Amino acid sequence: MKLSLSSVYTPYSFPIILKSYAFSNLCKPFCSSALSSSPPISLKPQVPLFLRPPIYSTKFCDFKKWHDWAKGIASSIGSTFVNSDNGPDSSILCRELKWLMEDAVEDHSLFSKMGFENYDERVKMRVGIEELYDLWKERIEKRRPFQYVVGCEHWRDLVLSVQEGVLIPRPETELIVDFVCDVVSKNEDLKRGVWADLGTGSGALAIGIGGASGIGGRVIATDINPVSVAVAAYNVQRYCLQDKIEVREGSWFEPLKDIEGKLAGLVSNPPYIPSKEISGLQAEVGRHEPRVALDGGIDGMDYLFHLCDGAALFLKPGGYFAFETNGEQQCRALVDYMKNKRSESLCNFEIVADFAGIQRFVIGFHH
Amino acid sequence: MYSFLQRTIQTSKIRQISRFSLFLQKLQTTSSRLSHNILVSNDSYSYGFHQRSIIVSPNQFRYFGSESVSLTLEGIIANNWNILDEDDGDWKSHAAAVAQSIDLIKRRLQWKKLKVRLDLLSAQLSKPDLWDDPVHAGKISREHGSLLGKVKEVNALEQELIEHIDMIKLAREENDEELESESLKALLNMRRNAKEKELEALLSGEHDYCSCYIEVQAGAGGTESMDWASMVMQMYKSWAQRRGYKVIVMEEMPGELAGIKRATIKVDGEFAFGYAKAEIGVHRLVRISPFDSNKRRHTSFAAVAVIPILGDGSTRVQINESDLRIERFRSGGPGGQHANTTDSAVRIIHIPTGITATSQNERSQHMNKASALAVLQSRLDQMEMARQAQLNAQHTQSLTDITWGSQIRSYVLHPYRMVKDLRTNYEVSDPDSVLEGDIDAFILSYLSASLDKGENNG
Repeated sequence: MKLSLSSVYTPYSFPIILKSYAFSNLCKPFCSSALSSSPPISLKPQVPLFLRPPIYSTKFCDFKKWHDWAKGIASSIGSTFVNSDNGPDSSILCRELKWLMEDAVEDHSLFSKMGFENYDERVKMRVGIEELYDLWKERIEKRRPFQYVVGCEHWRDLVLSVQEGVLIPRPETELIVDFVCDVVSKNEDLKRGVWADLGTGSGALAIGIGGASGIGGRVIATDINPVSVAVAAYNVQRYCLQDKIEVREGSWFEPLKDIEGKLAGLVSNPPYIPSKEISGLQAEVGRHEPRVALDGGIDGMDYLFHLCDGAALFLKPGGYFAFETNGEQQCRALVDYMKNKRSESLCNFEIVADFAGIQRFVIGFHH
Repeated sequence: MYSFLQRTIQTSKIRQISRFSLFLQKLQTTSSRLSHNILVSNDSYSYGFHQRSIIVSPNQFRYFGSESVSLTLEGIIANNWNILDEDDGDWKSHAAAVAQSIDLIKRRLQWKKLKVRLDLLSAQLSKPDLWDDPVHAGKISREHGSLLGKVKEVNALEQELIEHIDMIKLAREENDEELESESLKALLNMRRNAKEKELEALLSGEHDYCSCYIEVQAGAGGTESMDWASMVMQMYKSWAQRRGYKVIVMEEMPGELAGIKRATIKVDGEFAFGYAKAEIGVHRLVRISPFDSNKRRHTSFAAVAVIPILGDGSTRVQINESDLRIERFRSGGPGGQHANTTDSAVRIIHIPTGITATSQNERSQHMNKASALAVLQSRLDQMEMARQAQLNAQHTQSLTDITWGSQIRSYVLHPYRMVKDLRTNYEVSDPDSVLEGDIDAFILSYLSASLDKGENNG
């Protein structure tokens, strides 16, 4: 299925083709649908908290009461989550609380007044105070990822809408955009060509590349998950990149049949966690993020191999690719695979570490 | 000697001229608030030291010249006229007050050095190959423009003062009460404006207008010191907020039990550096430590560094991307899809100098990198400034590293209560309000003390 979103899509009315999927969920308010542990999938993308209108008003003292309560809970966690599954500690939770306030409250000058008693003042908010209690409870008790709580993830210089059903883009992945900027700045041909981001999720890589690198050509983002397609399209539209980035629904290379052998560049952060590790994941990830975006098969390499095979076919001569992996082992296995099986078409492999020093990316070229 | 007739004719002529001249000056003062650079740099409005206004004829000059008072700034000051309250309508008092202000402003501007520097810059500007290096040329011409503006402004003040005095004397001689009261009013206005200008002149350093980073580091002494460091940091946060500056926490290394080992905030706003630089040094606290179960008295130290954030200026050090090592704090584990964390702090190490910068407060790794890079840039710039300052020994106030010996202020909470600045001996007996950010008086007294004693004006 191909969605030509640039022509049909407007922020609040979603393409008709998608509505049939989602009809039963349409009347639900954006937040409550995400509360249950297995959320019903809604294809109308949620509006991130910070973009909602500040139509709620609360007394300052009530807001302060909420803040003190939330801060108390955050502090009480200590290193409990760290010890159980390498989750967030109190200091991270307190920072998230600050960001939640920033997103929920219209007037940020308020935060400098938190220490004072100011009973007359009212606080204009983008969410009701009861819901703020619920949101923070979910964060702590259910370990709902902070990014789902506020409906967005700050990634590079972007603020991307995310919601249940869509992988939250990771900081590590930001580096792929730097690689691409680097390679297109030296190569006019790659700059003008068509790029693809496979398994785009929230659209992060596609938007990062399409917006930052000065790529003159197009970017096509694919995802098999209709929620991701909807959210990616929403993010593309928020950054006014509809003319440059096209979101197509489908599995990996399937929606790209028309440009086989013509791609200038290919990037992807595919699911790469070995299946047996899924059950032991940090609660935020294992309980809340979509398994389809995480589980990479027995050794986690299923989709990475598939991407290599596809790169050999779909990239044009001189084309560039960059994939994210689980770490050193996968990087090596991937390079070995390409050297042995795909050396007639792919070359110049390189393994690059992320900022934490973990060998994270495999990059290379088509002959 | 003039005959009576001559004098009457002349006087009425002068009066017309003086009114016009007064009008011009008013115009000048008003518009100079908008853009003194444009107006005073127009030579027909800016008067030299002993030069007469061009609209006064040689005859009148002779008339004034016959007066016994020598009308120069030095002359006025030398008269030692009593300075009375503003309400006292004595023109001599106003004139002496204004003269004193101008004198102070000159000292604060480091007048002699400033003139020498201006000559140097003018010479450089006239070199034909100057614009071969546009960055350097831009810097020279900016600095030249700014210094010239200051010189002209002060000269214009002097000239205005002398003219008002002339007018009053003339009016007295002619018993023209209207003119006298007009001139007196103008003089009083000058006196009030000059007070403001005195303050402005305190912040006339090259980078004073900049925003800045304030860094606080706890001294030896464990939790008590770290608690003190966080109190000091809190003092600056409150101070900055009171002044209407924007405060952003760049990095914070919390202590194990309480307080901070070290923290950096960014203070964003006009003249943040100009004020905050007065805080550079070691701050000492004496109190009964709440962390000591035996309730003993403790002395702790916190070091404060202040770094200007240079705009798009040209003194910036060029940073090579390949000289940087960027690290992310890892919590262990395989990262990537395995981990969901909102913590994307990065540390950047500038390999050639070993200088590092950290940012943890942004919401994405990319932005943390950008803001850590900005901190690193400022640290490198500061190092370069200090190096240059040593080279040409021009900056008297180079921002060298803070050594634990350079104690600037003492905060005593027990056995008595007092905050005392060791540089100026300025002190207050209410430490609470100081720790809540009420430090302007300390800052101003230090700034004026450090500039006013500086040089004899020239």
